[in-house]
Amino acid sequence: MPSAADLAWLIPVLPLFGAVATGLALISFNSTINRLRKPVAVFLLTCVGAAAVLSYAVLAEQLAGAPVVEHLFIWASAGDFSLPMGYVVDPLGAVMLALVTTIALLVMVYSHGYMAHDKGYVRFFTYLALFSSSMLGLIISPNLLEIYVFWELVGMCSYLLVGFWYDREGAAHAAQKAFVVNRVGDFGLLLGILGLFWATGSFDFQGIADGLAAAISTGSVPGWAALLLCLLVFMGPMAKSAQFPLHVWLPDAMEGPTPISALIHAATMVAAGVFLVARLEPLYSQFPIVGLVIAVVGTITCFLGASIALTQMDLKKGLAYSTVSQLGYMMLAMGCGAPVAGMFHLVTHAFFKAMLFLCSGSVIHAMEDVVGHEPILAQDMRLMGGLRKKMPITSITFLIGCIAISGIPPLAGFWSKDEILGQAFISFPLLWFVGFLTAGMTAFYMFRLYFLTFEGEFRGEDKAMQAELMAAANKDTDEEHPHHAGVLHESPWSMTMPLAVLAVPSVLIGLLGTPWNSRFAALLNPEEAMEMAEKFSWGEFLPLAGASVAISASGISVAVLAYYLHRIDLSQLIAARFPTINAFFANKWYLDAINERLFVRGSRKLAREVLEVDAKVVDGVVNLTGLLTLGSGEGLKYFETGRAQFYALIVFGGVIALVMLFGVLGNPLA
Amino acid sequence: MLEFAVSAPFDPAAPLLAEQVNANFPWLSLSIFFPIVGALLVPFIPDQGDGKQVRWFALGIALVTFLITVAAYLNGYDPSVSELQLSERVSWLPDIGLTWAVGADGLSMPLILLTSFITALAVLAAWPVTFKPKLFFFLILAMDGGQIAVFAVQDMLLFFLAWELELLPVYLLLAIWGGKKRQYAATKFIIYTAGSSLFILLAALAMGFFGGGTPNFEYTVLAQKGFGAGFQLLCYAGLLIAFGVKLPIVPLHTWLPDAHGEATAPVHMLLAGILLKMGGYALMRFNAELLPEAHAQFAPLLIVLGVVNIIYAALTSFAQRNLKRKIAYSSISHMGFVLIGIGSFSALGTSGAMLQMVSHGLIGASLFFLVGATYDRTHTLQLDEMGGIGQKMRIMFALWTVCALASLALPGMSGFVSELMIFAGFVTDEAFTLPFRIVIAGLAAIGVILTPVYLLSMLREIFFGKENAELVSHTKLVDAEPREVYIISALLVPIIGIGLYPRLMTDTYSASIDALVKRDVAAMQNLSKPSAPQIRNTKLSPALILAPKLPMQQLQGS
Repeated sequence: MPSAADLAWLIPVLPLFGAVATGLALISFNSTINRLRKPVAVFLLTCVGAAAVLSYAVLAEQLAGAPVVEHLFIWASAGDFSLPMGYVVDPLGAVMLALVTTIALLVMVYSHGYMAHDKGYVRFFTYLALFSSSMLGLIISPNLLEIYVFWELVGMCSYLLVGFWYDREGAAHAAQKAFVVNRVGDFGLLLGILGLFWATGSFDFQGIADGLAAAISTGSVPGWAALLLCLLVFMGPMAKSAQFPLHVWLPDAMEGPTPISALIHAATMVAAGVFLVARLEPLYSQFPIVGLVIAVVGTITCFLGASIALTQMDLKKGLAYSTVSQLGYMMLAMGCGAPVAGMFHLVTHAFFKAMLFLCSGSVIHAMEDVVGHEPILAQDMRLMGGLRKKMPITSITFLIGCIAISGIPPLAGFWSKDEILGQAFISFPLLWFVGFLTAGMTAFYMFRLYFLTFEGEFRGEDKAMQAELMAAANKDTDEEHPHHAGVLHESPWSMTMPLAVLAVPSVLIGLLGTPWNSRFAALLNPEEAMEMAEKFSWGEFLPLAGASVAISASGISVAVLAYYLHRIDLSQLIAARFPTINAFFANKWYLDAINERLFVRGSRKLAREVLEVDAKVVDGVVNLTGLLTLGSGEGLKYFETGRAQFYALIVFGGVIALVMLFGVLGNPLA
Repeated sequence: MLEFAVSAPFDPAAPLLAEQVNANFPWLSLSIFFPIVGALLVPFIPDQGDGKQVRWFALGIALVTFLITVAAYLNGYDPSVSELQLSERVSWLPDIGLTWAVGADGLSMPLILLTSFITALAVLAAWPVTFKPKLFFFLILAMDGGQIAVFAVQDMLLFFLAWELELLPVYLLLAIWGGKKRQYAATKFIIYTAGSSLFILLAALAMGFFGGGTPNFEYTVLAQKGFGAGFQLLCYAGLLIAFGVKLPIVPLHTWLPDAHGEATAPVHMLLAGILLKMGGYALMRFNAELLPEAHAQFAPLLIVLGVVNIIYAALTSFAQRNLKRKIAYSSISHMGFVLIGIGSFSALGTSGAMLQMVSHGLIGASLFFLVGATYDRTHTLQLDEMGGIGQKMRIMFALWTVCALASLALPGMSGFVSELMIFAGFVTDEAFTLPFRIVIAGLAAIGVILTPVYLLSMLREIFFGKENAELVSHTKLVDAEPREVYIISALLVPIIGIGLYPRLMTDTYSASIDALVKRDVAAMQNLSKPSAPQIRNTKLSPALILAPKLPMQQLQGS
C-alpha cells in the first residue's frame, strides 16, 4: 500500500481532470452541459473533495513524522541541460494542501447558492476546479521553475475569474490589470530565476541556496549580483501577494464574483507570494539586507492597506484593503526571519478572511434583492445597516471574523498576529511600532464595517442616496435592472453552512500556535518550536500581548462610539480638520492615478508614436514615399514637429547605445 | 557552475556531416511531388464552380501529404542521429553541379511536419472560398509541395529555386483573394522577397564556385569548404538581408503587416505558420551551419536585432487598431525570440529557437484563423467597431482566449517552453559577457510584460463589455461552427502537448541542434585563439558597422 505522500501527485490532477472534462464538454455540448448544473457541481465537488481527503491523509502522515517525499522526472533537456519536474511533500506543503482544499471545497458549496441564478454557473465551477488544480500544483512544486509555471496558471485563473462577468466594463479592466500587474512581478521573478540558475545551475530551493553561498565564497558571483537576484525574485511575491507598490490590482479584482474574492483574492492565491518567500527561506536567510527590504515592504503595505481601508465605503473593497494590510503582516514576519510566524498568520487569516468575504457575499446577495444587480449599490455600506436582524448567521460569523482579525484573545488572529509583532519587536523595533499602530487601525476599520453593515437602521430604500451613488460612479440611474423591491433575507443553507464551518477554525485554530506550546511550529520546524517553548516567559509575553490587545480594544471602542452609539462624529472631528490626509487615504494614496497617468497613458502614447514612426518613417523610406511627402510639404509639416525624428532617434539610439555600451565594456563575446 | 557543451577545436579538414543515411523509399520526393501533381489535377475535377467538389479533393491531397510526411518521420527518421537522413541524390544537371538532393535532419524534419500539418488545416479553413475555387486550391497545393521542398532540399541552388517558386503562389493568393489594398500588398511582398532573394543567389553562386573545380552546391559539400573569414562575412551579410526580410527583422519588416493585413484567413495561416519559418530555418541552415565563423561575429548583432524586434513590434502591435495587423505585428515580436535563440551559441537557446518556430507556427496559425473567422461575422477588423461580442459568440470567445493565452506564453503551452529555453540558454551560456547578457535579458523580458498588454487589451476590446449596438444591428453574430472548433482543437493538441511535455518535440531535433551548436562554438573558440589577433579586434566591428547610422544624421538634423 503506497503512502499518501506517494499519491500526492493526484491532488492537483484530480481537480484538473474534472476541469478539463467539463471544459471540453462546455465547448462541445454547451447548452446540454449548462442544463446539467447539479451533476456537474457534484462531479467537480467530488474531484476536489477527493483531493481534500488525500491532502488530509498527507497532513496526517506528516504530523506523524513521515519523511519528506520527492519524485522527479526529466521534463526538458537540451545539450547538457536537463530540467526535472515532479512533486515534493513536506510539512509546509502538507499544511497548505489541507488549507487550500478545505477552503476550495467550502467555497464551492457556497457558490452553489451564490451563483444559483447565474447563467455561467457551470463555467464558474469549471474555473474553480481549474484554479484549485493550479494552486495545489504550486504547493507541491519542488523547484522554482515549476512554481513559476503554476504561478502563471493561478494568475490565468484569476484573470478568467475576475473577468467572469465579462459584460461589465469594470470586470474587463480589472481582469486585465490583475494579469498585467502580476506579469510585472513575474518579469522580475523570471529574470531572478534565470539569474539564480546561471549562478548556481539549479532550480531547486536548497540547491540554489547552497549553490549561491558557494558561488559567493569562491567569488564566481559578486555579492551585489546575488543580492540583486534575490530582490528580483522577490518581485514575484510582491505582485502576487499585493505588496506595495504592486498591490493596485487586488482591490480592483473585487469585480469578480464574491466566492472568488474569498478563495483566490483573500485565502489562497494571494498567499502564494508569502508561501514562496517561505520556500526560499534557505536563500533569503543568507542576506540580512533582503530580509530588511522584505520587512520594510511588508510594513509599508500593512500600514497602507489599513489606512485606505479606514475610508472605504464599498464593503468588498474595505475587506480587500484589509487583505492587503494582513498580507503586509505576513511579509513583515518573513522579513524578520520568522517564516513560521508568517505561515501561521497565513493559515489563520485564510480561515477568517475567507469567512468575512463569504459573509460579504451573503450580504450582497441579500442586497441585490433590494437594490438590483448593480455592484455600486449592492456593495455600498451607505445603503446597508440593520442587517443583523434579518441575517443572524451572517452577522454572527462576520462579528467573529472581526474579533478574530482584530486580535482579541483567544480567537485565531490574536495568536498569529501577536507572534509576528513579537518577532518584529526583537528584529526591527521601528517596524514593530508601525505594525502595532496598524493593529489598532485594523480593529477600528473592521468594526466600522460591522456596525455600518449590520447595526442601526436599514438604509437600502433611500432612493436619493442610490441616485447620488450612481451619479458619483458616472452611471445612469436608467434601470435596465428593474428593482426587485424584494425583502432582505438570510441566505440559503448552502451559503450559511460554509460560514458556520469556517467560524470554528476562526475561533479555535489559534490555540494550535500558542507561543508556549506551538504545535504548528512543531510541525514546520521542530527545533524552532522547542526554542520558542524554552525561551517563553510570561514576563516578556504579557506586556507585548497586553499592548496589542489594548490598542485593538481602543480601536474597537472608537468604532463603537462613532458608528454604534454615534457619540462622536469622525467626519467632523478628523476628516474636516485634516482634509489633506483624509483625501490622501480616500484616494488610495493617489497610486491608481499615478499608475494611470504614468504607465497606462504613457505606454499607450509611446506605442502610438512608435507605430507612427513605423508607418511614416520605416515604411516611408522603403516606399520612397518619404521623399515624396517631404517634397510635397506634407511630410515637412510632420517633421517640423520633431516627433518623428525624436522617436526614431529613441529606437535607433537605443540600438546604438547598446552596441556602444558593449564596445566600451568590452567584447560581448566572452 | 553548469558546464555547457564545449567541443574539441574546430578542424576544417575533418569531414563534417559526411555520413548520410540514404532513404529506403523516396519519402521526401514523394511528399514534394504528390501535392504538386495533385495541384495539376485540380483543373480536371468536375466542379460547378462553387468549389464543393474541389475542396474535398484538395483536403484529401493535403491530408495524404501530411500522412506521407508522418510516414517519412516514423519509417525513415531516427531522432538520435544528427546527420542527414532520408537522403536521396540524383544527378540532375552535372555541368552546373545541380543535383536533386533531398534529405532531412533535425533542422528540417519538424518544419516539414509543420508545413504539411498547417497546410491541411488551411485547406479546411478555406472551406468557404467560393471565388475561383479551382485556382485557389491549385495554388494552395502547389505551395504545399514548394514549401516542403524549401525545407527538404539539400542543395543551395535547389533551395533558391524552391524559395523563388514558392513566391508565385503567395503573390497570386494575395493579389486575387486579398482585401481592398491587395494589389499594393502583393506587389510590396514580391518586390521585397524577390529583391532580397537575389542575395541568396549571389551567395549560393559564390559559395558553390568557391575553391574552383566543378561547382557543387550541396550543403554537405559546402560545409566542408574552408571559407575564409572575409568571404564568410560577405556571404553572411547578404544572406542575413535575404532571410531578415522573410523572418522578418526590423526594419525590413514593413511588407508583412501589409501582406498579412490583406490576406484571407487560410493564406494568412500559411504566411504566419510556414513562410516566416523559412527565414528562421534558412538562418540556421546557412548562416549558422555553413558560415560558423561569420556567425560568431554577427551573433551579438542578431541578438540586439532580436530584442529590437520583440519590443518594437510589441509596441506597434499595442497601438494597432486593425485586428489583423495587430496579430501580424505580434508575429514579428515573437520571431525576435528566434533571433536571440539562434545567436545564443548554446544548445538550449538554439533548441528553443527551433521550438519557438514550431510553436509560433501553430499559435500564429490559430490566431490568424480566428481573426478570419471573426471577420466573417463582424465584417470589420477595426477594434473600435467591435465590443461585447462575447455575449453572442461564447465558444469563439473561449477559443480566442485560449489562443491568446498560448501566444502570451502561458505555461502549459508550447510558447512558454520555447521562450523559457531561449532565455535560459542565452543567460546561462558563457558565450557572451555578463553585462551584455544582463541588459539583453532585461530588455527581452520587457516583452513578457508587453505581450499580455496588447493581447489582453485586444480581447477586452473585442469581447468584453457591453455589446456594440451598431455592430449587432447589422451583422449576425453566430457562434463558432464545428469545423472551426475542430481546426483550433487540432492546433491546440500539439500546442498543449508540447507545453506539457516539450521533449515530444525537442527530442526529434536535439541531436542536430547539438551538432550545429558544437560546430559554432568550435568556430567561436577558433576566433578567440591568440594566434589571430586581427580577427579578435574585428570581432565587434560588424555590429558597429551595420548598426544604423541614422541617429547621427538625425542628431544633426534635429
